[in-house]
Amino acid sequence: MKSFTSRPVLERNRAIVLAYALVVVLAILGELVAGGFLSVSHIDQLLIEASFIAFVALGQSFVILSGGIDLSIPWVLNAAAVLLTIFANGSNGKTLWLFPLLLAGGAVVGLVNGLGVIFLRIPPIIMTLGMSSMVEGGLLLYTNGSSGNNAPTGVVYMATHRWGPVPVVAVVWLAVLVVATVVLSATPFGRRLYATGLNRRVAEFSGVNVRWVTVSVYVISGVAAALAGLVLSGYVGEAYLGMGDPYLFASVAAVAIGGASVLGGTGNYVGTTAGALVLALLAAILPILGFSQATLEIVYGLVILVAVSLSSLRVAANRSVD
Amino acid sequence: MIERADPSSARAGVTAGLPSSPGSRLVARARRGDIRPVAAWILMLALFFTYASLQPGVISNAQIGTLCSDTLPLVTLALGEGLVIITAGIDLSVGGVLSLGTAIAAIHFTNSSQTFSWSIVIILMGVTAGVINGALIGYLRLQPFIVTLATWSIFDGLALEVLPTQGGSVPTGFSNWIGASTAGIPNAVWAILVMAVLWLWFKQTRVARRIFALGSDREGARISGVHRPRTLVVTYAISGLCAAVAALFYAMLTASGDPTAGDGLILPAVAAVVIGGTSLFGGQGGFIGTIAGALTLTLLGDVIFVFNLPSYWTVFADGFLLVVAVLLGGSLRSLQLRWLRR
Repeated sequence: MKSFTSRPVLERNRAIVLAYALVVVLAILGELVAGGFLSVSHIDQLLIEASFIAFVALGQSFVILSGGIDLSIPWVLNAAAVLLTIFANGSNGKTLWLFPLLLAGGAVVGLVNGLGVIFLRIPPIIMTLGMSSMVEGGLLLYTNGSSGNNAPTGVVYMATHRWGPVPVVAVVWLAVLVVATVVLSATPFGRRLYATGLNRRVAEFSGVNVRWVTVSVYVISGVAAALAGLVLSGYVGEAYLGMGDPYLFASVAAVAIGGASVLGGTGNYVGTTAGALVLALLAAILPILGFSQATLEIVYGLVILVAVSLSSLRVAANRSVD
Repeated sequence: MIERADPSSARAGVTAGLPSSPGSRLVARARRGDIRPVAAWILMLALFFTYASLQPGVISNAQIGTLCSDTLPLVTLALGEGLVIITAGIDLSVGGVLSLGTAIAAIHFTNSSQTFSWSIVIILMGVTAGVINGALIGYLRLQPFIVTLATWSIFDGLALEVLPTQGGSVPTGFSNWIGASTAGIPNAVWAILVMAVLWLWFKQTRVARRIFALGSDREGARISGVHRPRTLVVTYAISGLCAAVAALFYAMLTASGDPTAGDGLILPAVAAVVIGGTSLFGGQGGFIGTIAGALTLTLLGDVIFVFNLPSYWTVFADGFLLVVAVLLGGSLRSLQLRWLRR
């Protein structure tokens, strides 16, 4: 019976180690079923596709760490993408100020979510479900149900350009990974976030401003979803209604694979990054094996179930050890 | 939440302390009852008469039949969702079950005997989905939202496997039922009435009492011998069953299948339950209010149509109403309780 602190890092983060092992296994499996799977250009493509999941899952990670959930991600992503292509209308000059503006728009949606959860005491699932519908309705009303335009060339360039063999998007992702990891593990905000997720009441009594923490995670999620939408529109080359739909399940699945508890308080973005890679690899391998796109949705669901069942068993095991 | 502190002892005190003349017993009943479903019916009727004054001919057998048949899939879905919400859970997977149900119907309902046998398959599928949800939530102690989010994704995927795009068809004999009448009353009205009667019967059963007990006080329910996992399996199985039946109604209404039909109905189902006065925190509520909640949402779409507004307003309004209903429901109940305590 060891105490928590004396356990080695690898053992404490067994879920994350497992997730990265899964990345390696899937990558090798991919190479086995299709030669060239691990060529530089295909790895780049996989990284870019994984980065969209990683961006939305960034926000979902923070929200889930705080003990909540954000169901409004798909339509925030979709709205950012569609509005960018409509407002910019192909002009790169306009894109320059639209980028910060639309990210701010995502922040506002997140702010309303956070305020609703904390001040109006609406359960997160209901608040963000309602918000999702309001954003969807608002977008449909604005566009009158038609899709967006083609993405400005600058956004396409940003989403697909490589520095040498490395995609720009992957560099942005790496930066996000570093910042998120530092914020979570080495700042007062990170400690307060874990405290809030573990036990809201106790966190409050020990002087954590739970309201501020909760509002900020939803704001982060809104901004992250908008960012994913902007980059995704560049990668696809256009924006269309419904493009955000797969990203709700994907964001939750990435967080769950990364070993975070859906009850909040445990997990980190290093794990979520592995989760995003696993999902992108699965999305690439399944069609090669002859499965349809629909299979991917089934796999997302199964992956979430397996991950949360394992983490619940782990919690039970830890409890019996302590 | 304040409504959580709803003291049943205080409620009992209100009834016990009163004389038993019929009039005052009625008053006692009225005071003891929850005001929220009543508010939902008043809201629904207000909306109905607004609609009727804008659009001539609404108050007719045929028009009321149309209103009820438009509402039928939603209200059926909300019957099961409401029961889950009474246990303080949530079932997001009803959307996937409904999608899969309509997809199976559109592919396999080729003649009347096929329609009958595949209807049973759809219903069994719904019950199985619910049993899986309930078992994972009850026995493995997983969170309802994460389990049903995952199974929602799985059933959505299965629906797309069965029917990749909107389409297919069902026999006209099957789809005509929802618009037809029996004994002068539209079948859709009958269907809602039958569900209401079933609910009033079910509410009295021991199973229902366990479900309510679980939602209002989990620990107390455990001490008084409620088997939590088993009760949850039954609850989610009923929700799956309702979603499957809703799929049949949906297939009748649209005369085809849609592998994504359910995604847009999850929020309205939860909204119908909440507008109908069922508390999201468990233990309080019922189907009678939910009927008003579901009709309110359909009527809202009708009124938006009459005002010549884009139908997209309904998407926005559903989300907005859900949030407002959660807020108003909580404050209405605490106002009522404050008034009771005086």
